[in-house]
Amino acid sequence: MAKTKASGAPKAETFNRFTFLQRISHIVFLITFSLLGFTGLPQKFPQSPISIGIFDLLGGVENARLIHHTSAVIMLIISLVHILDITYGFFVLRKPISMIPWFNDLQHVINDVLYYIGVRKHKGYYGRYSYAEKMEYLAVIWGTAVMALTGFMMWNPITTVRLLPGEAIPAAKAAHGGEAVLAVLAIIIWHFYNVHIKTINKSMFTGHLDRHEMEHEHPAELAGIDEGKVAAPAIPAKTLRLRRVIYAPFALVVTAAFGLGIFYLVGVENTAISTMPIGETAQIFSPLPSATPRPTPTPAPFVAPSAVTWNAFAGPLFVEKCSNCHGINGAGGLNLSTYQTAIKGGSNGPDIVSKDSANSKLAQVQSAGGHPGQLSADELTYVKKWIDAGAPEK
Amino acid sequence: MRLRKAFLTIGLAILFIAIGFSFSAANAIGRVPLADMPNSSLPADVDNAACLKCHANQNFNTTIGIQKKDLFDLSVDADEYNHSVHGQIGITCVGCHIGFEATSGHGLVFNSRREVTLKLNAACGECHKLQGQQQKDSVHSSALASGMLEAALCTDCHSAHAVKRLKDQNTGQLLPETRTWIPLTCEKCHSTIYEKYRNSVHGAALTDEKNPDVPTCIDCHGVHSIEDPTTSAFRLSSPQICAKCHTDPNRMDKYGISTQVLNTYVSDFHGTTVTIFSKTSPDAVTNKPVCYDCHGVHDIVKVDDPQRGLSIKTNLLKTCQKCHPNANINFPDAWLSHYIPNPQEYPIVYYINLFYTFLIPGVLLSMGALVVMDFSRMMINRFSRPQVSSAAKKPTKSSPTDEEAHHG
Repeated sequence: MAKTKASGAPKAETFNRFTFLQRISHIVFLITFSLLGFTGLPQKFPQSPISIGIFDLLGGVENARLIHHTSAVIMLIISLVHILDITYGFFVLRKPISMIPWFNDLQHVINDVLYYIGVRKHKGYYGRYSYAEKMEYLAVIWGTAVMALTGFMMWNPITTVRLLPGEAIPAAKAAHGGEAVLAVLAIIIWHFYNVHIKTINKSMFTGHLDRHEMEHEHPAELAGIDEGKVAAPAIPAKTLRLRRVIYAPFALVVTAAFGLGIFYLVGVENTAISTMPIGETAQIFSPLPSATPRPTPTPAPFVAPSAVTWNAFAGPLFVEKCSNCHGINGAGGLNLSTYQTAIKGGSNGPDIVSKDSANSKLAQVQSAGGHPGQLSADELTYVKKWIDAGAPEK
Repeated sequence: MRLRKAFLTIGLAILFIAIGFSFSAANAIGRVPLADMPNSSLPADVDNAACLKCHANQNFNTTIGIQKKDLFDLSVDADEYNHSVHGQIGITCVGCHIGFEATSGHGLVFNSRREVTLKLNAACGECHKLQGQQQKDSVHSSALASGMLEAALCTDCHSAHAVKRLKDQNTGQLLPETRTWIPLTCEKCHSTIYEKYRNSVHGAALTDEKNPDVPTCIDCHGVHSIEDPTTSAFRLSSPQICAKCHTDPNRMDKYGISTQVLNTYVSDFHGTTVTIFSKTSPDAVTNKPVCYDCHGVHDIVKVDDPQRGLSIKTNLLKTCQKCHPNANINFPDAWLSHYIPNPQEYPIVYYINLFYTFLIPGVLLSMGALVVMDFSRMMINRFSRPQVSSAAKKPTKSSPTDEEAHHG
């Protein structure tokens, strides 16, 4: 169980506490745990400015989730390693399960409290592991199981609700968040105090404690060692081989189950589309037929005049189309409302040159188009015919 | 005497400040103070009658366009103008028709009717500076800049000569009757969307009941500075638009609608992500749903609508499947439907939360108590009774042995 590496002076005497694998597992676990808490808690409290600061630091919530998911997978792998480590120790090496809380742990708590309030002169005599360590270890086991299970459910909701009701997903989220807060705060209060503040216990990194530290923290175990109650006798090679053969399929099944779980966790379910949801499908610009700002009067169909004269054609046409400006208002000095004034022309001379529509300003202006009171093409054709015929009155 | 002069000066100063304030306030609501009217800098001697000599004629028109084939109506309904908000306060024709020569065609050449409107549109901003600037920042202006000539200009919504008063002059609030005009105005160009809105829970209440609580187009899209609603930034900020009314108990209570819809959205999977995105990177693209992805954009219906209402599980499943195509009938319950979990609705979630509400403080307080006691004892030992420390920790040989039974 614990081995003395005594080489003379009692000061140099050390007591092994953790194997190399356990120390590595602890380091991996503490890194992934910190990353999970650091990237997970801000997602539980998205409204907090601290959370937003953390997301900014990580380059956005998508990165935080990637780190969270990656850490989770690594933590699951190291959990598998630990399960195999522990079960091998128990089934093959027949090491005692020293992490299970027992009645004497309760006795130690009472002893400690009595010591704190000054009733007893010393604390409880802890064995291989104190109640503080057992409590923390079991919390890790419980917490990892809850987090892995609920994390799987949230990561794969569609697979989950094939077996469970839909409510399992928000329930998983509630438990995941509650457990996270509990775990992180417990680490800060309990773990930090017990191994970083009260004493600086480096055994999880060095693997051993010295006699002085053992006297402080595991007096009962030390007493046992000193009395010669050391580890169980060596196991005969043949027995060991047999146990290993029996253990191997168990280890395989556990590994396969974990592997399958991690495989499903990461890669099987396609939860949601990666494209954008379809927004408004209606045509954005779909003007009403009446959207034209103002209705314009439709021109009456052109009726060829009975005679191309002022009285029968040009006079009524000019009154209708032109006299609004070139009437008694006389824009530009031109009044087209009477035959006499029309022939006379405007302030710059005649606008109608008899028998020469090409040189008549009226025809020129109208041919160019865009004049207020614009004549239609048919009307203009007949006006030109009228001028070319000598602009007759009757 | 001197005192009176001082009072007069102060009084006048206060008066001027007050007038100044009322002007700036007036501009903010769209009303322009008479003193700011640009008429003085224009040929004020041009009387409206001079214009109407020609333009009052109903058949006064011209052709326009490259082919000179588009008929362009030049007539003005003087009566309509005189009854408009501008006509009533005596703004003259040349007040808006700036830079027109007093000749036939006024010295203007246009290739299209739209070109005329585009040129004249600049006149509105002369008085309505704020609104003019807001319009320049809008999606309509950017559409115009990209060559979409039909994009709405001032007169497309307000009309040119029949501009109506829309706001109460004193409060700056929209006049009640104007609310029903708004969707009809937008319909002129967005008729398909209008149809959807018209049949939605909001549009139907506005049109059929003149309900003052439901939103018109501008309550979500804004008035002059209408934002492009297809951007990621609009998408991420859109829950706040809905929340303006849906978290307001004064509006919601009478219809029995929960005002917890935003809270519950934000605390659920989708809303959490959208909230984080809107705070860390408001322009980022995310396909996590916002209100309108589930409830509809313009065609929002009541949640108990038999065809599309989301309180009916099969309708909700169809909605979920838009983004989660593999979802089965259990899946919609993974969404808390805006409920705060309670013993009736989502009891499992409620009891898990309750469990942790007791477990977390229970565990932490116990740990905290042991830590505080241990630390206090350590401090007491160190400072008051240093001689005790060595005696206290050394176990006697006999005492620990009885505790080893279990470990052995």
